[in-house]
Amino acid sequence: MKPAFSIIFFTVSSGAGLGLLALIALVDMLAHGVLPSYALWRGALLGLGLVAAGLASSVLHLANPRNAWRSMVRVRTSWLSREAVAAVALFVAGAAYVLLLTRDAAGAPRVLLGWATCVFAWAVLVSTAMIYASLKPIRQWHTRWTPANYILLGHWSGALLLATLACAYAAHAGAFLALAALLGVVALAAKLAYWRAIGATKPALTLERAIGVAEGVRGPGPVSVAHARLLDVGHSHGTFLTREFGFVVAQRHARGLRVVALALGFGLPLVWLASGIAQWRAALAAVACCIIGLLIERWLFFAEARHTVRLYHGDPRT
Amino acid sequence: MKLGLLIDLDTCVGCHACAIACKEWNASSQVSGALSDYEPFGAEPSGVWFNRVRHYEVGDYPASKTINFPLSCMHCADADCVSVCPTGASYRRADGIVLVDQDKCMGCNLCAWACPYGARELDTVSGTMKKCTLCVDRIYDVMLAPEDRQPACVLACPTRARLFGDFDDPDSEVSRLAAERGGFGLMPELGYAPVNRYLPPRQPQPVLGEDDPRALLERGLASLASPVIRR
Repeated sequence: MKPAFSIIFFTVSSGAGLGLLALIALVDMLAHGVLPSYALWRGALLGLGLVAAGLASSVLHLANPRNAWRSMVRVRTSWLSREAVAAVALFVAGAAYVLLLTRDAAGAPRVLLGWATCVFAWAVLVSTAMIYASLKPIRQWHTRWTPANYILLGHWSGALLLATLACAYAAHAGAFLALAALLGVVALAAKLAYWRAIGATKPALTLERAIGVAEGVRGPGPVSVAHARLLDVGHSHGTFLTREFGFVVAQRHARGLRVVALALGFGLPLVWLASGIAQWRAALAAVACCIIGLLIERWLFFAEARHTVRLYHGDPRT
Repeated sequence: MKLGLLIDLDTCVGCHACAIACKEWNASSQVSGALSDYEPFGAEPSGVWFNRVRHYEVGDYPASKTINFPLSCMHCADADCVSVCPTGASYRRADGIVLVDQDKCMGCNLCAWACPYGARELDTVSGTMKKCTLCVDRIYDVMLAPEDRQPACVLACPTRARLFGDFDDPDSEVSRLAAERGGFGLMPELGYAPVNRYLPPRQPQPVLGEDDPRALLERGLASLASPVIRR
């Protein structure tokens, strides 16, 4: 799949923002007072900002953005529609929640809006993940590890942002560093499991199955078990299909980029967390490192995905 | 109703007439708007097509066969391109035809990602998704003679390798032929229930070896006949 920067930035930025929003609401609900409310509202505002930046970027991906407002009408079947509706709900609840936090208002509305912000943030995160996971023609995406990755990576980058806030505003940041480290290790495990899953050959489709000659060419006489190859693709220059689905990344480069993504996205931030240096400057460096790592990871998520259309263009298998 | 196409891979000669006729008819389509071309007279012409013909070789020499493979929308009964569409631009009609409402499409590409066959192409000029309409603006047009109320690709095919009909009607020509000759849908394992059917190509005839008695007989007859023919 073509790795479009607008979607890569969207999923990474809004993933971090959504993870941060959910964690801040949870901290406020379950561990009230651990972070001062001025830290909470700044964090929640940052979270909403990251989500808004991501959504703005995703609109850039549309070829006809004038009709973007229509995208909320098919919630019954479309994960993209569900994502749009959940995002609007999140902004309404999140903005009201930030307002209450700035006034440090206690009571039922804060609890209600806190939980609403958390649930809507999760709803957006799950919807984004399911857009990819529900696509049957792309086996590298049509796996349960796709939602697991999106949810955990969002919370991992969000937890690093929360740890940064804790380093800046909390008396004791230790618990936040530990939470981030825990989420980091789990997210790393999920990413490795994803790469292992897409490396398996079993669910792959072949060119022979795509053109219906998997059992050989039928007809009178014995069946010949045939393998097929492309003779001519029929078009002289690129098409929408080759531009959208034709992107390939060399195995060698993919391996190298995986190492870089692991080192920047997980390795260095985890080293910082293990060091226990609770300084906000160090925390910001870890966040920057993680985001760059996740941008590379997300680029690979697209670049390594192989759509079944590629079979018709001569790929032997997906 | 399940309107669709039956494509005979045994008789298709890969001439691309169906693809050209499709492009010609739909270039001025009221249903999907123009089919844009990008740099049609430039160094690398490209554009939107509803129907593309590709060519494959199946099997190994000497028992190999060329298969010409036209591919357009399968008008799936369980079409994911319709269910993933967030705007409601993609829809499936009661007669089985899957269409895109050009006024609602926002050009997000998700339906093209959801289609395993590559039947949908984004028109970057209009910013909307385009796809085969099964010539819905021909097949119901009472101003056309009854025999012309068929998709342009079907009418253009010089070897009659393309037929149009209702696959829900077991007595229709397409249903009958599909049943008789083992018509198959593409990648049924993905669960989209594609409606279009392909008739399988015949078994390739192996090329005879040098010392095969049939080849010796053939050469003997040829050497007897050729002085007569050349005279």
